[in-house]
Amino acid sequence: MSAVLPDNAPPVMHQSPGLWTLAWRRLLNDRVGVFCLAIVVAYVSMMLASYAGLVAGDWNKEKGVSYANPSFLAGAENLEAREVTNRDFGTTAKPVDLSDIDPLAPRYKEWEERAAKIAVTEVKRAETLAFGGDKWGRDVLEKAIKGSEVSIFVGLTAALFATLIGTILGALAGYWGGRVNDFLEWFYNIFTSIPYILLILAFAAVFKRGLDTIIVILALTGWTGIYRLVRAEYIKHGGREYVKAAQAIGASHFSRMFVHILPNASHVILVQLSQHVVSFIKAEVILSFLGLGVPVDMVSWGTMLAEAQNELVIGKWWQLFAAGASMAILVTAFSMLTDSLRDALDPKLK
Amino acid sequence: MNRAAAFLAACLACALAAAGPASAAVERKVLRMAFRTAETGFDPQRIYDRYSVGICENLFEPLLTYDYLARPARLVPLTAEAIPEPEEGGTRYTFRIRPGILFADDPAFKGQRRELVAKDIEYSIKRFRDPRYASPYEWLFEHKIAGLDALAEAAKKTGRLDYDANVAGLEVRDRYTISFKLTEPDFNFLYILAMPNVVPVAREVIEAYGDDTMAHPVGTGPFVLKDWVRRSKIVLERNPNHRGYELDPRYADPADEWDRRAIDALRGRRLPLLDRVEIYPIEEEQPRFLAFVNREHDILDETPFEFIDQVLPNGRLAPGLARQGVSVFREEQPEITYDVFNLDDPVVGGYGPEKVALRRAMVLAHDRGQEIFIVRKGQALAAQSPVPPGVVGYDAAFRASHQEHDPPRAKALLDMYGYLDRNGDGWRELPDGRPLLVDYKYSAGSQANRQLAELWSKSLAAIGVRIYANAVQFADLLNDKRVGKFQMAGSAWIADYPDAQNFLQLLYGPNTGQSNEARFRLAEFDRLYRLSQAVPDSPERNALYREMNRLILAYAPWRLGVHRVFNHLQYPWVKGYKKHPILYTNFKYLDIDTAARKAAAK
Amino acid sequence: MWQMIPTLAGVILLIFFLFNWVGGDPAQVLAGKISNPEQIANIRKQLGVDQPYWYQLWVFVQQVFTFDFGRSWSTNEEVSRILLTRVGPTLTIMVPVLVIETVLAVALAVMVAYVRGSLTDRTIMVICTTAMSISFLVYIIFGQWLFGFILGWFPVQGWSESYWRNLTHYAPLPIMLAIFVGLAPALRLYRSFFLEEINQDYVRTARAKGLPEKTVMMKHVLRNALIPILTNVGIYLPSVFVGSFLLEVFFSIPGLGREIVTAVNRSDFPVIKAVTVYLAVLTMIVNLLVDVMYKLVDPRVSFK
Repeated sequence: MSAVLPDNAPPVMHQSPGLWTLAWRRLLNDRVGVFCLAIVVAYVSMMLASYAGLVAGDWNKEKGVSYANPSFLAGAENLEAREVTNRDFGTTAKPVDLSDIDPLAPRYKEWEERAAKIAVTEVKRAETLAFGGDKWGRDVLEKAIKGSEVSIFVGLTAALFATLIGTILGALAGYWGGRVNDFLEWFYNIFTSIPYILLILAFAAVFKRGLDTIIVILALTGWTGIYRLVRAEYIKHGGREYVKAAQAIGASHFSRMFVHILPNASHVILVQLSQHVVSFIKAEVILSFLGLGVPVDMVSWGTMLAEAQNELVIGKWWQLFAAGASMAILVTAFSMLTDSLRDALDPKLK
Repeated sequence: MNRAAAFLAACLACALAAAGPASAAVERKVLRMAFRTAETGFDPQRIYDRYSVGICENLFEPLLTYDYLARPARLVPLTAEAIPEPEEGGTRYTFRIRPGILFADDPAFKGQRRELVAKDIEYSIKRFRDPRYASPYEWLFEHKIAGLDALAEAAKKTGRLDYDANVAGLEVRDRYTISFKLTEPDFNFLYILAMPNVVPVAREVIEAYGDDTMAHPVGTGPFVLKDWVRRSKIVLERNPNHRGYELDPRYADPADEWDRRAIDALRGRRLPLLDRVEIYPIEEEQPRFLAFVNREHDILDETPFEFIDQVLPNGRLAPGLARQGVSVFREEQPEITYDVFNLDDPVVGGYGPEKVALRRAMVLAHDRGQEIFIVRKGQALAAQSPVPPGVVGYDAAFRASHQEHDPPRAKALLDMYGYLDRNGDGWRELPDGRPLLVDYKYSAGSQANRQLAELWSKSLAAIGVRIYANAVQFADLLNDKRVGKFQMAGSAWIADYPDAQNFLQLLYGPNTGQSNEARFRLAEFDRLYRLSQAVPDSPERNALYREMNRLILAYAPWRLGVHRVFNHLQYPWVKGYKKHPILYTNFKYLDIDTAARKAAAK
Repeated sequence: MWQMIPTLAGVILLIFFLFNWVGGDPAQVLAGKISNPEQIANIRKQLGVDQPYWYQLWVFVQQVFTFDFGRSWSTNEEVSRILLTRVGPTLTIMVPVLVIETVLAVALAVMVAYVRGSLTDRTIMVICTTAMSISFLVYIIFGQWLFGFILGWFPVQGWSESYWRNLTHYAPLPIMLAIFVGLAPALRLYRSFFLEEINQDYVRTARAKGLPEKTVMMKHVLRNALIPILTNVGIYLPSVFVGSFLLEVFFSIPGLGREIVTAVNRSDFPVIKAVTVYLAVLTMIVNLLVDVMYKLVDPRVSFK
């Protein structure tokens, strides 16, 4: 420990604890909130670990037979586990000879020799997997973990973008008022006069398919609620004294909007952000079910549910359960955390 | 107000509680079933999807049709008196229509009975070329009928087709006789006249309904369209004007149990026997399957592959279904699913050895076993050529090992022709060092298509080739394939008529921009194709087909997929069932044992 | 009232921008199994998509005001007919859902608000949150499997011409599932409305007068909380027309929602455009009515 502080060290603050510190303390006192926070943190770390390849890295590997039973149902009959063969397909005819017309014919010999040198590794497929297998024999548990990556990423990114759009537009409308406000209100009215689901489907009808499309659609259709609340905050704060004071000392409009007022509206934004994460994770599932989203070499809870829609009837319930439950746990925790967060940030409501 | 709402809710709750299966007390013979895909409409010259066409099979009658029981499919006269012999070297066919065939009643006929005449056939064939309709089957009559192209050209300029103009190739000789003159010999022309949308419509009806012809089909067929709620319900009822059919058992196979049962049920009876057919398009697999299991439907057409182990565990009918007397009709459909490469594409296209090697390697890498056993649950045959079994010109001795899963040979081929991983990222590059990324387009919205895309993705990853699987809407996919805006794409073709030509034309050079999605233009192939057109079915023609199939394997414009096998289920009260390989429906030959159905419901 | 005009203009512009600008060329929908470039050009001409944008916009505006969107690109059916015939089944499902769900949610919310803060309240809230977290898809897949297949209580699909048979035979399972899904969020929301009212001064006054808690709840709180609740129902009303699309897809109900999903998959733009415009108009009208109602119920609220 040095007795001398370096010159550039921040001055020690001696003031009453700020809004955030208080809110944080209140949150820590809320046992449910802490528990939910722990679950959310666990999911996010799982997602990061899976992104880094630490877990579920080989989710795409086919380790078991088709619809391999979960290990706790090891003895159950599995009719789907038929042998996959690529030989003969029932014909005994001699393969047709192409050598007289084949552009590759001059190098047939070399081809044979090279092919013979390449080793074939036969994979042994397991009869059971920890929590059962999917159609291809992939581990459902690993898929659910890997699926969290895409689902949370979509929910989070789309919510961030929606919040960004909503905040900027809301700030502009609330801060400037007048014409700007009229124009943005008009814009807001347009988006809210179309039922939300219909708006999503209308966007989906014209965009190409893909992960980025889902994020764009959700962000472009989901900003309206945030806009309204942020605008109200800005109207409320716009006339307050501290803003006027900032103006007096020559703070620019930009600085007043985003340096002075924004922190005071940030609790509203934060609660909205986390609410939107929840609703977007749910929306991703529906959009993926409709075939609008995730590419084939990725997995999300939505694609898992879409795959699983017929599996219940054939008695393979585990994929539906794994995806449904992983999602339900995260979304429950996230919603309850949002509630706690709101209570902590705005104790009046309780 | 609150109380009123509560009362209303209580009423509703009571109503809900009282819900239960109510049984209809009508004794009429009603058949209920689902279609897998929604229909589009019933104007025969304006539709192409097999479900809409399938309905038209019952509303209209072509000159010729297929015998119900004969296998392989066999042409028989329907409204024509006889099957004509080719005249003038296969360029002229003359038909005489049976007198006394009546159209179904319609207000457009102003209360008059309306007889089918040769003029109706002439009119309907001209409709295929009317620019106003943009008929999806216009190609059937392009460069085919003498003088018709000129009429269509003139119509393109004015936007209006002159139906009163005389066309040399559509010669109406008298009230009942029509003679077709073709521009070049075609020995498959009779098959075209048996297609369920090459059928006569009445000019008065078409003109009376204007843009609404899709909803007002008026034909000479055994049924009429009674009710139609688009995409959710199609109701057919017996046409009272219909003269009736009789089952022709001459071409039946006495050893075939289905034939025997059909003959027992139908012999000597006046067909059709059904009073009413109700069809429900259901696109989701689970409800379609459950509707049959719950006996809401009498027939399950094309059991979804997903549920095959519920229906046929280990290839045998499930005991639960067997106890109820359900039968399974296993049909190897005359169709092929395949993936098409764009031969004009700078990466996957081309005819040089290096380009051919890339396509051949991708074909060898594809794990078709998983396609058959996992995606299709074993309900598919590996295609050896584009031509499926059951089609004239199919060669059972033709085996294409060049399409079988063999990753070492695929890798060796890529190594030999310079597709190597130079930068060590695990993916191969093109011989000139540029990255190799293949775009695969498939139709969005179906789980099976998505699984096939997954399979490609995995299979190619195993040999170090990167693929971008791109789900596009079905309509966009069709368009992109037609104009060549793709590298590799999923496709399927169902026989319009049972001849290999219908499949091989998919790779005929001049069809580029239409059915030749691969844009495959190989002079030798085109030469052989033209030769084969001028020859009737014969060993000589089969030899030509074989040569063409060999060229397809060598140049690999396609990855040959499978011929799907479908399992059709019926409850025991459905009598006379047999599935036809070309015609989609068989309502006119079915009977319902209403007493047995009632007994089973108890 | 006059506010509606710029909004409607905006909706028209937005939809036009989406479908005529962003959306792809639809000609191939009509082109079919095989078609040549000439046929495609011909179809483009028929659809009018080869015209300049300003002209297409003008056509679209005319369509909106004449209620004539022409014909569906994929089935050639008149769009107005599609809308009219598909509304019935959707309402058969959604009206009972809306009524039952609202009544149940209000009743439960009153009870929960009455015992606010108790263990019961908190347990119910946790159950609601959990129930809300399970995807609608899971409910439908599981519900159809359990009630339609395993127990066999209800048919899994179908629809008839008879309204009564639909309501008693085909609709109960979808209605039940929709209520099951919708109840939890409604309950949570309405509870918060009640709590807000409970914290108002007039409630304290009433309590101070010595009125029993039950009377306070039923007479004062419930009556006042009904305003935001009915507003909420009003705002939700337009969604009723498309809200059941997943149910309609799974139970093969020929409703508006299923029609739209099919239209999205088939790029059938006229149908989507028409539904979007008219539901937007409906939303605006409902909002207006809600405002009027506000004024009637609460004279303090005045129009801007």
